[in-house]
Amino acid sequence: MPYGTSGKILRVDLTHRTTRVETFDEAFYRLYPGGKALAAYILLRELPRGTEPFDPANLLIFANGVLTGAPFSTATRFSAVARSPLTYAYGESEAAGYWGPELKNAGWEAIVITGRAESPVYLWIHNDHVEIRDARHLWGREPYDVQETIRAELGDKLIRILQIGLGGENRVRFAGMTNELRHFAARAGIGAVMGSKNLRAIAVRGTGRYADWAYDAKGVAALGPVLAKRVKEHPQSWDLQNKGTPGLVEGLNAAGILPTRNFRQGAFESVDKIKWEAYEKELLTARRTCYACAVRCKREVKVEDRYQVSDAYGGPEYESLDGFSANCGVDDLQAAAKANELCNRYVLDTISCSSTIAFAMECFEHGLIGLKETGGIELRFGNAEAMLKMIELIARREGIGNLLAEGVKRAAEVIGGDARYFAMHVKGQELPMHDPRGKVGVGLGYAVNEAGADHLTSVHDPMIANPDSVGFKGAAPLGIEPVPPRELSARKARNYYRVENWVSAEKVTGMCFFGPAPRSFIQIDELVNALRAATGWDITLEEVLRIGERATNLARAFNVREGFSRKDDVLPERLHQPLENGALAGVAIPKAEFEEMLTHLYKFKGWDPQTTMPTREKLRELGIEWVADLLEHK
Amino acid sequence: MHLHLAGHLAWYDAQKRSRLIIQLAEPVGLSDLLRDLGIPIAEIAVATVNGVVVELETARVSNTDRVELFPPVGGG
Repeated sequence: MPYGTSGKILRVDLTHRTTRVETFDEAFYRLYPGGKALAAYILLRELPRGTEPFDPANLLIFANGVLTGAPFSTATRFSAVARSPLTYAYGESEAAGYWGPELKNAGWEAIVITGRAESPVYLWIHNDHVEIRDARHLWGREPYDVQETIRAELGDKLIRILQIGLGGENRVRFAGMTNELRHFAARAGIGAVMGSKNLRAIAVRGTGRYADWAYDAKGVAALGPVLAKRVKEHPQSWDLQNKGTPGLVEGLNAAGILPTRNFRQGAFESVDKIKWEAYEKELLTARRTCYACAVRCKREVKVEDRYQVSDAYGGPEYESLDGFSANCGVDDLQAAAKANELCNRYVLDTISCSSTIAFAMECFEHGLIGLKETGGIELRFGNAEAMLKMIELIARREGIGNLLAEGVKRAAEVIGGDARYFAMHVKGQELPMHDPRGKVGVGLGYAVNEAGADHLTSVHDPMIANPDSVGFKGAAPLGIEPVPPRELSARKARNYYRVENWVSAEKVTGMCFFGPAPRSFIQIDELVNALRAATGWDITLEEVLRIGERATNLARAFNVREGFSRKDDVLPERLHQPLENGALAGVAIPKAEFEEMLTHLYKFKGWDPQTTMPTREKLRELGIEWVADLLEHK
Repeated sequence: MHLHLAGHLAWYDAQKRSRLIIQLAEPVGLSDLLRDLGIPIAEIAVATVNGVVVELETARVSNTDRVELFPPVGGG
């Protein structure tokens, strides 16, 4: 029997209202040990080529990692995977919170859902008991009400609930999922896939413990008190506990890479109104956390002033904060908090939603859309009321919201003209709030990531630029070298490749990006040792990196099979144009040098630089030569 | 001199302060000052003096300056 897992996958067919249990063995598990690896494997093996994202046949996969629910900080995450309605590519989103660990405690490593229920339903999982229940009374209601209602009707306040909101019900292409109302698997439109299946929620109660699955439960648990003590003794975790991600605003602004006005600018003239000190004064009410995590990086906010912001849905993280302030030209922190609350209430991805509104503002200012299209709304940069109104329209797919709910790529195609230059996306997924013109390795991640633009695919260049820094020293075992943030080179591509494999392994093992090196709250050998204790394997760092690389190759193979190639691994044109202001005014990413660096990256990855198809040799090295056979007969 | 230690740089101050006022009798090299204060230069990604980005190793600061130091930022 494999350790660190129950070895059980729950299969659900909503069309036929059936469920069944599948098990996997040790050999399978060591190749695909949960999370991204397991989900990508199932999607590639089982989803027929060309399946439309909203077709009932699309798979909706939730997968825990080996360490999800382990009793130490930052071991909290699960992956949600489907063919994305936003990109039509491999779609992936992760979240922390409490739901993944609860699913693990209920004895399930993954859930694979297919089909479409005839009318709205929710899934109820109580250890081995699985039930598909009527959710017609929950459809259209807010997440808070849904959570309270489900807990009341099942008679247990400790039930953990993952659910979509109005956005997912209305198939907004960037709708996400929330658990415990405050933790979001928001990206890639997986919530819209869930909505298309008429599945409103998955309620879980598990009475098991991580120790039930672990090879050496005491060995795994030993890291818990060590990390709990370390939080205040380590600068990175101390800062995350103190400020959380909203603390990033002023540093990025000073560096000239705070996305402002749809990435035209890198510095915001009103940064003092949105930076951490303002956040702490105007918004903050408490600090919260995820399952068993001593870092406590989640912010709680409440406002009863210019705007009424509920404390039910969690405070804005950095991405949401910048997206709904500087990137929309809005200098009102309370408006940004309200925008975040609305997105959380409707369960929309704040990154894609804010970016789509910034795109629409720029289209409006260039006369590509007018008052007729917006319903009389002056959709200009800086107009907070217009921004908030757009979120309502998008969630309900009303008026221009119906177009914007399609995301910037499709909206630009409909609007036409120069709109495509204002659409900041890769593969159809909107850019996160990090400007690669000041850290080009992040641009590599935006370009190559199978799920579209994403900021959590590898290390951000400044973290490992200085060999004496905490970040570099923590990540040194990965085989990196110090490289300046704006250098475009083969060695930059190599750094990206090495750390991408590590970060991908985090997504396989269920670890949060804020724990392990290069954040370095958890050292690399500590994580490898935890994996050994959990599984009983004699696993090495190199095997961990191969696990991560294998997962990426499975996702890439899915994309290649669906017709994606190098032509889709491109940055938006604007990033090759100079920034208008700030410390990096005039700086752009030179296209030819970026392309050359990308070619180096494909070579490090063992992929054909044009088709981006993994070579048979690489797949053999990773123990998945069957993928080469599959691609040759696609 | 007003010194702002942004992000995790404040952790290196013994009292965990993010804003300090330092009296300087005469202009000093910024890197020398930081060594005296125990702020590791390797953890500084961007330094500004009166809002202008400067090179850490060559910048000099005086008593009326506003100095801001920012650490490298990862994803978030």
